[in-house]
Amino acid sequence: MRRWDNRAWLGVLPVVLIVAFSAVVPLMTVVNYSVQDIFDLNNRLFVGFEWYRDTLRDPRFLEALLRQLGFSALVLAIEIPLGILVARNLPRRGASAGVWLVVLAIPLLIPWNVVGTIWQMFARPDIGLLGAGVNALGLDFNFTADPVDAWIVLLMMDVWHWTSLVALLAYAGLAAIPEPYYQAAELDGAGRWQVFRHVELPGLKPVLLIAGLLRLMDSLMIYTEPFVLTGGGPGSSTTFLSQHLTTMAVGQFDLGPAAAFSVLYFLVILLLCWLFYTAVMRSEDVEGGPGGH
Amino acid sequence: MAEIRLDDVAHRYPGAAADTLSGVNLVIPAGEAHALLGGSGAGKTTLVNLLSGLQPPSAGTLSFDGVDVGSLPPRDRRVAQVFQFPVLYQSMTVAEVLAFPLRNRGWKRAAARERARDIAGRLDLTRWLDARAAALPLFQQQLVGIGRALVRPDIALVLLDEPLTAVEPATKWQLRRAIRDVQRELGATMVYVTHDQTEAMTFADRISVVHDGRILQTDTPEALYNRPAHEHVAHFIGSPGMNLLQATVAGGTFRVGDQTVAAARDLGDGPCTLGFRPEWAALDRDGAGPVATVRGARVLGVEAHRPVGIVTADLGGQTVRTRQIIDVEPGDRVALRVDPARLVAFRDGVRVATVEAARA
Amino acid sequence: MGTEAKRRQPRWLLYGYCLYLALPIYWLATMALQSNQDIVGDLEIVPSRLTLANFAEIVGNPVWYSAFGHSLSYVILNTLISVTVALPAAYAFSRYRFVGDKHLFFWLLTNRMAPPAVFLLPFFQLYSAIGLFDTPLAVALAHCLFTVPLAVWILEGFMSGVPRSLDEMARIDGHGLGYFFFRLFLPNIRGGIAVTVFFCFMFSWVELLLARTLTGSETKPIVVVMTRTVSASGLDWGVLAAAGLLTILPGVAVVWFVRRDLVKGFALGRV
Repeated sequence: MRRWDNRAWLGVLPVVLIVAFSAVVPLMTVVNYSVQDIFDLNNRLFVGFEWYRDTLRDPRFLEALLRQLGFSALVLAIEIPLGILVARNLPRRGASAGVWLVVLAIPLLIPWNVVGTIWQMFARPDIGLLGAGVNALGLDFNFTADPVDAWIVLLMMDVWHWTSLVALLAYAGLAAIPEPYYQAAELDGAGRWQVFRHVELPGLKPVLLIAGLLRLMDSLMIYTEPFVLTGGGPGSSTTFLSQHLTTMAVGQFDLGPAAAFSVLYFLVILLLCWLFYTAVMRSEDVEGGPGGH
Repeated sequence: MAEIRLDDVAHRYPGAAADTLSGVNLVIPAGEAHALLGGSGAGKTTLVNLLSGLQPPSAGTLSFDGVDVGSLPPRDRRVAQVFQFPVLYQSMTVAEVLAFPLRNRGWKRAAARERARDIAGRLDLTRWLDARAAALPLFQQQLVGIGRALVRPDIALVLLDEPLTAVEPATKWQLRRAIRDVQRELGATMVYVTHDQTEAMTFADRISVVHDGRILQTDTPEALYNRPAHEHVAHFIGSPGMNLLQATVAGGTFRVGDQTVAAARDLGDGPCTLGFRPEWAALDRDGAGPVATVRGARVLGVEAHRPVGIVTADLGGQTVRTRQIIDVEPGDRVALRVDPARLVAFRDGVRVATVEAARA
Repeated sequence: MGTEAKRRQPRWLLYGYCLYLALPIYWLATMALQSNQDIVGDLEIVPSRLTLANFAEIVGNPVWYSAFGHSLSYVILNTLISVTVALPAAYAFSRYRFVGDKHLFFWLLTNRMAPPAVFLLPFFQLYSAIGLFDTPLAVALAHCLFTVPLAVWILEGFMSGVPRSLDEMARIDGHGLGYFFFRLFLPNIRGGIAVTVFFCFMFSWVELLLARTLTGSETKPIVVVMTRTVSASGLDWGVLAAAGLLTILPGVAVVWFVRRDLVKGFALGRV
């Protein structure tokens, strides 16, 4: 068991200070702005929750939120199963394991705006391999003009960019399953699906929880890639929350409403992550807990 | 349950320079509790993997009830295994774990549940049936593993790979007895792998001593103890192991250095090794026999008001241990008295039959 | 072992996925090696006229190569800070219970969930006020917002995997805390540190929003220079592609050098 010792605070103090510096002060500032009407930095007026009411009634906020939720749901639904599949096929040992990890890690290490640039070059109907290729097949494809095409390219890009993260984490989870579990399943005559269901999935649960949370958080915060790839368009069909927010804060200098938007945005992410976490933990109880049957 | 037969079986890992197992001949009759005893790296695990089908033999034949199974995959061999640590599916209850091998082979739900209930009853697991298997105490988890191995009525062979490793020392014997009881009740053919001679001796009908990729001797615990076929077996079994003295046969007597130990009949002159258990010998202050010097005496217990223990002595530069009443002190000049009828003689590491013949 | 080979599906899925990963990068490479005329001209799957002019433009232009330096400096700074502060914290979380430990851990993780877009303006004001604006340290500190919680999280998992008996043995042997921590304890979690460095480097190197907000003309990082090139000179696809290709290299180099420890770290399954 871990021992009680409050001196351990000394160990966590540097982390607390550095994160507090980067988080608490800015967060307080945002909350402060969100209840004031700011004409310039020396001239402000307390307005209470007015900006929050406005934001919640703003159809552009709600549309961006819906788009955002749809995007995150699709991204998770594609990347988690695909990542598990890729991880199951990776070699466990030997020199080739290291090389595969490096190959998989490459998309993760590319700056996000470069990812956007790469996919723009790849998908453009005039100079892109994908865009020109699909058009050569006789399909009319132009992600700069057609919202459906834009969404397809955006999803393809996100899958390209992030599935590796799920795969790497799932690979770690699979590697931690002791060989006897597979041997026992084999001797028990378990089929491939049952091995996955009863051996691999329970072993993967902790890492899938982390992978799911990371993907959920990051997909909810997505900004740079669509900013470069589609600029939020065509129209506002790919404008997600972050982009809407930066337009407000930087482009229009609407500090009060932008701050209220920020706080709501942060709360939405916290709420969704909490829901995801409890849902995953609850499913464990229902399925295996002592009173589960 | 099936008779297990290995004929000249060998195994070599692909690319390895030497065999991990070679020349293994073994017949395990149906319903026998058999133990594979040996140190780490002896080849026990490889042998188990050959039996379960996780590794194929590179030579020789392996048959269950006369049917060659050497090329069959594990799932088709009717083999079950209990592992060092509990290996149970995390999401299943005890009843589901027990029914799992049956359901996978097409049993109806009700029949599988009935059979699982029956096995659980034999292992005293009934009250845990609806609990999540992975949440039980380690002892019960291992019992569930054993139950899963025994649940299929058509099982040919149950392998137990050091199954007591994970449970607390105080409860090891209980689990061992539970295994042994259910083995007798169901008449299961079991192969029990261990490095612990006490476990092997108290569990098995017969034991195979594995060393350096070979089976040195397969025999009952009693025969292994009294008539080891190999110097290694003599030394490995017993605590302390057999005394092994470098000796020579000259003119019909065993000699250690220039002292005569016992008469040797029908054995040609030349070097040999003499083996005897510590309790087959005694060191006397007044007796007749080869002279030794006591190095130390350690009291292990008291019998009939007299301390009994191990006495270590020096006999012409070689060490002798006896288990006896301690009536000598370090520094004493003593005589070694050995029961000549029980002496075992080895040449080139292998027992020579002469001494036994002489006894008969 | 036989069962392992059997439970893998045919490798085509892996190769197919790799092709999917490789195609956009291949296309980027072909563009980097072509002149703008050829890029906009007829589409060729394998370009017929190759040129290094785009790379020459980058190497010859101080705006480009100093931007690489700026990026690397804050990324390295961030990785150093993150790992340094996260090590003692992760040790404290993995070995001790203390007042508020659970809440603290959860609070750290919530910071990982804060969208950088929310903090753009306050960050700008904060760092301007303390005179750090337009320094690598500003970006490094800002990135700590998401790298430090992640580093603590990952390291705590690895440290919990090291048996406590190691700590007790060291105490019995009379080793000081420093000797124990650096010479005995850390070598056990090499793989974990490699995984942590990988993730810190990754999340700091790839970020644009904060890096753009907190840097001015002095320390403009490569990610920002790239976006400005798009808007300034219109569509200089060739140079853009060449610069993009170059930004992939530092990450690949990092992961290549730690790949053995990474495999070991991942194999422990404690991420």
